[in-house]
Amino acid sequence: MDWFGILVGVSTLCIIGMGFGWVIRGERYFGYLWWPYTMGIGILLMVLSVFVANEYASALLGAAGASLLWGSTELKEQAVRGELGWYPFHARKIEPPFAKIIKKWKAPSL
Amino acid sequence: MEYNFIGLASAAATFLGVWLGHVSVRKIEREVEHVWIPATIALALGITLEFASLQAESLVVAAFCGILGITLLWDALELGVRQPRRIIKGHAPANPKNPRHARMLAAYPEATTVDLLERDPRGVPYSEEELFVLKGKK
Repeated sequence: MDWFGILVGVSTLCIIGMGFGWVIRGERYFGYLWWPYTMGIGILLMVLSVFVANEYASALLGAAGASLLWGSTELKEQAVRGELGWYPFHARKIEPPFAKIIKKWKAPSL
Repeated sequence: MEYNFIGLASAAATFLGVWLGHVSVRKIEREVEHVWIPATIALALGITLEFASLQAESLVVAAFCGILGITLLWDALELGVRQPRRIIKGHAPANPKNPRHARMLAAYPEATTVDLLERDPRGVPYSEEELFVLKGKK
């Protein structure tokens, strides 16, 4: 019996839980237009996980990358939730570089 | 240099678990009257996958099963408790053809059949009046 899978599973649940947190607070102060950056970081972390020798570190890096990737698809809906009053709304958001270009792209939502 | 595919397996299981959970919980909770049935199935599948991860000889398989199993256990909670709460609060659309949802629509004034998230952000909060219009109550 090896507890590796269960330990990684529980840790991943914590990572997913933190994902809810950063999506809510990140959208509140930075806005949903940061989605290409969080998506890029997520993909980068997943690629990096292939080059990490330690099994736990690799697994958690991959899970964190996937959580960031998922979070990037949640930012648009979270922005609407804030506008609907389900979460506190912060009007003065910090826009990302190239915000005008990103506004022309369709934000992902699954 | 040796490549380590545990990270990719974990990433796939995480994304698959969250995505499938997100989509299927909404769909199943909307259609099923007795929500405890799919919640129990998710619970059983989650426990089975956790046992499989304990027995797996490959760490890649163990990580995949461990993560997918734990997300299924969470989905059981979502199905049985959290998604019905969203329906009651109007944060997810109710299905009037589902008798359980029909009872929620009758009992809770905030419940609605409109999917309020089906729109693009506009950068400005909605007023109370606009929310009434969006919910089709005015």
